Amino acid sequence: MSSIIIETSGLTRNYGDICALKPLDLVVPEGEWLTVMGHSGSGKSTFMNLVGGLDRPSAGSLRVGGKDLLAFTEDGLARFRREFVGIIFQQHHLVPYLTAVENVMLAQYFHSVPDEAEARSALERVGLGHRLKNRPGELSGGEQQRVCIARAIINSPKLLLGDEPTGNLDHKSTVMVMELLKELRAEEKFTVIMVTHNQEVAGWGDRTIYLDDGMLVREERKVEA
Amino acid sequence: MAMALKLIPHLIAWFGIVLIMLRGFSGRRSAVLLAGIFGFVIGVAGTLILYRSYPGSITFGVVKSTLGISFILLWGSSVFAIYRSTGRGKDTLRGERLISASSTACAVSCLASIVAGAVCACKLSSFATGGAIATVSLLLMLVSCCALAYAALAFEKRLPEPFRVSPAGMLAIVTALLLFSASSILRLDLFSPLSMKVMKGVHDFVHQFMESVLFPDHLFVRSYIWKSIGLLFSKEVGFWGGLIIWFTPAVLIVTAIAIQRLPSVAHIRQGAERRLQSAAAIRERRHRLVIPVLSVVFFAAAAYQSSFPSVEYWDPKPLPVTANQAGEIIIPKKGDIDLEDGKLHKYLFKQGEREARFFVLLSPTGELTVDLDACAICKPDGYGQAEGSVICYYCKTLIPLETVGKPGGCNPVPIAFSVKSESVVIDGTTLINSWGATVQATTRVKEGGK
Amino acid sequence: MNRRRWLIHLVLRALAYRKGRTLLLLAVLAMASSLATALGIVSSSMEKRVAEEVRKYGANLVIFPESARLDIGSGGLNFGVVSEPAYLQQSIVEDALIKSELKAEVSFHLRGALHLKDADIMVEGVNFNDIKRLFPWWQLKGNWPAAGETVIGNDLASRMKLKTGDIVELGGGNKMRLRISGIVASGGEEDGLLFVALPELQQTLDLGGKISLVRLMVTAGGNTLKTSASDLQKLLPAAKVTEVRQTARTSEGLLAKVKLLMFMVTAVVLVSAGSSVAGTMSTTVLERSREIGLMKAMGGTRWEVMLIFCGEATLLGVLGAIAGYVFGSVIAQFITKTVFSASADIIPWFAGISLGVSLFLALLGSVGPMISVFKLDPVRSLRGE
Repeated sequence: MSSIIIETSGLTRNYGDICALKPLDLVVPEGEWLTVMGHSGSGKSTFMNLVGGLDRPSAGSLRVGGKDLLAFTEDGLARFRREFVGIIFQQHHLVPYLTAVENVMLAQYFHSVPDEAEARSALERVGLGHRLKNRPGELSGGEQQRVCIARAIINSPKLLLGDEPTGNLDHKSTVMVMELLKELRAEEKFTVIMVTHNQEVAGWGDRTIYLDDGMLVREERKVEA
Repeated sequence: MAMALKLIPHLIAWFGIVLIMLRGFSGRRSAVLLAGIFGFVIGVAGTLILYRSYPGSITFGVVKSTLGISFILLWGSSVFAIYRSTGRGKDTLRGERLISASSTACAVSCLASIVAGAVCACKLSSFATGGAIATVSLLLMLVSCCALAYAALAFEKRLPEPFRVSPAGMLAIVTALLLFSASSILRLDLFSPLSMKVMKGVHDFVHQFMESVLFPDHLFVRSYIWKSIGLLFSKEVGFWGGLIIWFTPAVLIVTAIAIQRLPSVAHIRQGAERRLQSAAAIRERRHRLVIPVLSVVFFAAAAYQSSFPSVEYWDPKPLPVTANQAGEIIIPKKGDIDLEDGKLHKYLFKQGEREARFFVLLSPTGELTVDLDACAICKPDGYGQAEGSVICYYCKTLIPLETVGKPGGCNPVPIAFSVKSESVVIDGTTLINSWGATVQATTRVKEGGK
Repeated sequence: MNRRRWLIHLVLRALAYRKGRTLLLLAVLAMASSLATALGIVSSSMEKRVAEEVRKYGANLVIFPESARLDIGSGGLNFGVVSEPAYLQQSIVEDALIKSELKAEVSFHLRGALHLKDADIMVEGVNFNDIKRLFPWWQLKGNWPAAGETVIGNDLASRMKLKTGDIVELGGGNKMRLRISGIVASGGEEDGLLFVALPELQQTLDLGGKISLVRLMVTAGGNTLKTSASDLQKLLPAAKVTEVRQTARTSEGLLAKVKLLMFMVTAVVLVSAGSSVAGTMSTTVLERSREIGLMKAMGGTRWEVMLIFCGEATLLGVLGAIAGYVFGSVIAQFITKTVFSASADIIPWFAGISLGVSLFLALLGSVGPMISVFKLDPVRSLRGE
């Protein structure tokens, strides 16, 4: 019986008068690949930010990895994130003046200590062993996203969040990235929460939830064939 | 309350000592605290009893020797710490168990507090005019120290958990604090006598060396060598030598901790976990460095206080005097200036191009003495008077008032004089010649002991 | 690699990435600190130079007996009339000078009238060594007098038709026979006087230990001339101590004014440099807001992210200080060479001032940007719009 990694109750996020996320109750068991789908403005990114500790809920309770996120200070949330959460963005957000290895080492620096050997082997694992010393500007979209993946998992997080990671990629790169994620998840056994509006990507997950206007409207479970 | 201000270094030192003890021996806090207060009271009482029964110099001598012993202990432990941290000494388990015993904690705390109390008592006695110390001030001090001890207890609980102190570090900071508080008392100060001993030691050594090895022969040795040899005779040598001896133990302890190898993490497979442990170990080592670095700071503060004491020296500007027709200088015992008021009075005598400085002083035994304002060893920077002794400005030696007037060492060179009809009479030419000879000797000494 | 080295590496990479901006900031900081250094060095060298210039003007304080009003003048400036003779006790003045601890060149003067041939002439007794220091503009044809010799002003010499080598006999009181060793031209009233050694004149006039006038050249020191004068006055109640106003006041006043001017210029430059730094740093932070949001998202606490930017500002400050000190010293040399025709000293501790100014500007300018770094919300900056 797997334990529960995310547990929310009445999770709400308001921006002034606008309610981005209506009270949401959700339970995510450890090791699940959850896809969150919805149109833009449906609150899926908000949900991801809340779960990853990047944002504070306006109301409700939120427990991630057994820790109550509302009890953390802002710096406490940062410390929680560095050990527990890895995030992949649509826009890559790699530091432009650092090479691929150094970008991964940056994540190591904020976590504890930079370790070049480990960063190098992580990049090799994602298939970029030959592109270690290249700056982001010299890498293709797929390669950049792979560097982001390496950066996200270098600190062995229990939770991997992806905010439309394949949104800017072509089909081939998308498949490659998703394959990579599947492999890594099988090895490292982390939980994945992926936000997307692409139906195909959604098919990779174990469970899909649909958000519309901040509310959970549908839930689908992947049928194992 | 100038007195309260003067006690500040001691109060800081006491607060620090209690704090460190509590943190160092955490788990036996109340025992350590009580032992500390008990020791402090004993220290104060013991010193005051000693002070009443024996002349001041003995009491101060005892406390000074205790401080000296603790400094030597620190030297020993710092060398040991370096030795251990380079990985050689292995049998430390016995030592560790001894250190963590509860009795050790109380004993160490008691001892440190006794010394701290003794130093405070010495400071109080130097305020005393005529030997009697106001009971009020004594009680006030004891009460404030107890209060400080409890304040330290409260403060220690607030201090973040990671700050720990190793045994060597504890010894270092306690010694540093004790020496810091002692250095504000002239007669307990260790740094100036240390640098003076170094200077004298080097001086004597080079002197002997020159005399036994090198014949005074110009031809063989060039002038710049003499100049650098002359450097060895200056007080700078004493200062820098003393500084090195002063700081080395604390610096050694800091180094010992800094170069200590971190616990091995290679056995941990997962990279992130390994790095976390590594980072934690680095952070822990850094925390352990805080106390020894602080002790270096306090050593520096002690050296500073010793070099620039806040004591005001009684040093009147030399009044010019002239000789009469017979070449004698006559100074009335009671005129504008009372020569017999126990303070030194300086005069400047000029005969043509030459001049001499001298002073007149009534010693505690009731005799007047006339001496040159220079000694046979140091540069003629002059003398000042403070706290029952006369101090040579150049080498900062303290000469008790009783021995002023006797020749030798750093004592001012005595001058023959006579008392005629309520005036002191000094022969001008003898004075000038004496001064010339003394100053010449010390300048020659600077140029290489020829 | 440990954390500190990585931080330095990161800061260097960040600065190298935006070379233009880095160089601009460095230039601004270097300019500000070099100006502060240059003007500081110039002003401290100036004090010394002005003191030396003041020497060339001669005495700046005079002491004369309360009751007398004497002919006082120096190098062409005359004011005052001779009235009844009154004297000062030389020993009292000497004592007062020792007590006051003034650093000054002193010369004692005694005036008296003596009979030469068939006329009364003014004779002045002086110590010739002191004269050489206090009246450097005197031009002497011949030699300074030895014992039994005298120097005569060229007006008097031409009036009485005397020349070097002549023997003069002065009457009135005890007689004096002196040989003229030289003729002096001062351009002032001294040209009409005959100068003899002070002790000799005191003896001749039977005025042992007395003098009519003391001239002092107080070397410009800690106290202003005014305070030195009043201190000395307190020690000499029976005399009057006055400044020779022209030279003393002007030189001191001028120095103070110039210093104020330089200080104001430096302040203005520093303010503008500071605002320039602040502006540049703000735009940098705006541009890098995504980077900052990313670092926060990766788990960097607010202080850790701020540390990176503080490191950048500090490094810029230090580099700017070094450049500023070097340039500042060069500029100072240039200024002192052209204005004073002298060379400025190389003052090492001004490097500390340069460092202080540069760091202060760098860190002050980054206070605003730091606050926005601190407050930055990663969600907003990473939204990727």
